[in-house]
Amino acid sequence: MRAYLSVFRMRLRMETQYRGAMIGGILCQMFFGLVLVALYRALYAGKPQALPIEHVTTYVWLQQAFFRMLLSSDPDLLDKIRSGNISYDMCRPVNMYWFYYARIAAQKMMGSLMRGIPMLILAFLLPKGWGLMLPASVPGLVMAVIALALGLLCICALENITMGFTMLTLDPRGMQGVLNLLMITFSGNLLPLTLFPDSWQRVITALPYAQLLDAPIRLYTGEYDVAYAPGIIGLQAGWTAVLVAFGMWMWSTNRKRMIVQGG
Amino acid sequence: MSYIEVNDLKKTFTVRKKRTKGQLFREKQKIEALKGVSFSVEKGELVGYIGPNGAGKSTTVKILSGILTPDGGEALVDGRVPWLERREYVKHVGVVFGQRSQLWWDVPIIDSFSLLKDIYRLSKPDYEDRLKELTQALQLEELMRTPLRLLSLGQRMRAELCGSLLHRPKLLFLDEPTIGLDAVSKLALRDFLKWENKEHGTTIMLTTHDMEDIAALCSRVMVLGHGQKLFDGKLPDLLERFDTVRTVSVKYDKEGIMPELPQGLDVSGDENGLRITYSPADFPTARLLTALQAAGNISEMTLQPENIDTLIAAMYKEMDL
Repeated sequence: MRAYLSVFRMRLRMETQYRGAMIGGILCQMFFGLVLVALYRALYAGKPQALPIEHVTTYVWLQQAFFRMLLSSDPDLLDKIRSGNISYDMCRPVNMYWFYYARIAAQKMMGSLMRGIPMLILAFLLPKGWGLMLPASVPGLVMAVIALALGLLCICALENITMGFTMLTLDPRGMQGVLNLLMITFSGNLLPLTLFPDSWQRVITALPYAQLLDAPIRLYTGEYDVAYAPGIIGLQAGWTAVLVAFGMWMWSTNRKRMIVQGG
Repeated sequence: MSYIEVNDLKKTFTVRKKRTKGQLFREKQKIEALKGVSFSVEKGELVGYIGPNGAGKSTTVKILSGILTPDGGEALVDGRVPWLERREYVKHVGVVFGQRSQLWWDVPIIDSFSLLKDIYRLSKPDYEDRLKELTQALQLEELMRTPLRLLSLGQRMRAELCGSLLHRPKLLFLDEPTIGLDAVSKLALRDFLKWENKEHGTTIMLTTHDMEDIAALCSRVMVLGHGQKLFDGKLPDLLERFDTVRTVSVKYDKEGIMPELPQGLDVSGDENGLRITYSPADFPTARLLTALQAAGNISEMTLQPENIDTLIAAMYKEMDL
């Protein structure tokens, strides 16, 4: 346990060093948030939808604030796999899967909190109908935070599967491109999942991608009643377990057929 | 039973060749990196492992450090099979890959060390004792708070070595540790390795292209080529087989003196004197010296064996590597 916590802490600290990237990220995500909000406001001005506009803008802001959790791969890890520096990690008395999982978790957590918290404060200060609304209820907020934590565990499992594919192909771009496309579509980053047709939503909300941010956001806005929270959290935990199991299997088979290139 | 027992170790890599015109699929090619290598190493030995590029040295090291799984053969180190009981096994093994880095690029090296302390579950006093010992021996005290990216190559290699030895490994693999180092750093590194081997009885296996490393450190040398072991023994014994020529340089007090020498010797001369290359087996050194002295007053003379790198190159050539 000590090794995993230690690498987690180390990666957290490293992430805090990249302040320039943080400011750039906030500016970029604020810009995208404003564009999307303006877009939905234009849509609503033409034809009001059943879902209140405050819910849609809140959805957009929460998605943008935690963008870093969804779409960011640790460049150092990809580089280790490509260059073969991974050999050093392979001769340590640790479980490789969890060692990397801890690193990814730290990077995603710190990266998104550092950007997310200032952004949410800014979004909260925007006028009504543009910004972030208060959570529907206090239990709803508590459940949303728990669901967000589980979403983080789930995304780290997904990311470790991407790493597993990178070991096979040695180039992350192809597989990452496909997986990221699925991710931005089915996690609600491209279009809030709440705006998909109901029949679609029944399928999409059951997929692992909906567990990352969509489920916590809906608990926050109150679209999912707190009474359903245990079921939602159960689904998230179930997907996390499945994805972790798959990732671990992938890593252990990779290890047996591993070739470390170049000297 | 020796400390390391390797028996008929085999490893094959599959490489896909570039597709040629009109071919639908890429052809696969099997490359036998190790074609059945056997050796044993005793505890506390310092063994050099040499061979041309692509001979299979690094593959052996990777298998013995638990990274790769071989296709065939056996290896037993201290009673364990490296690739089967990896996590238990690697606790007592240290590895330095000269061309790779284990320390974190952006953080001070002390933080990387402290992560290693947690990875190997070292107790605080044990870690601190060892760290003090190593930083003194490797002269790293001043650099502990410096991020890795600011260190020179020589400093970095010393830090890497420190990282690999923190957990007091009983067995240390060094894969080209002196690559790219300047003379001072190389000498310091060699001294340190000798000290570590003597002080702690650490068994060391060293792969290198620097023959001076081998000459300075290793009592035993193994030569690998085309995935097979070609020689295993003492370095002088290896050199004796190929060390057939010597060069004598002489300078006389007067210019233009030409000693009477038998035919068949390679003689060249310039304002700095004469250079004579001969084979002691055909022409005894004593006789040559007598002939040189008879010609006049010698003001300077040196007798040189063949350069060690030239010898190794000749050896690789003869072994058809």
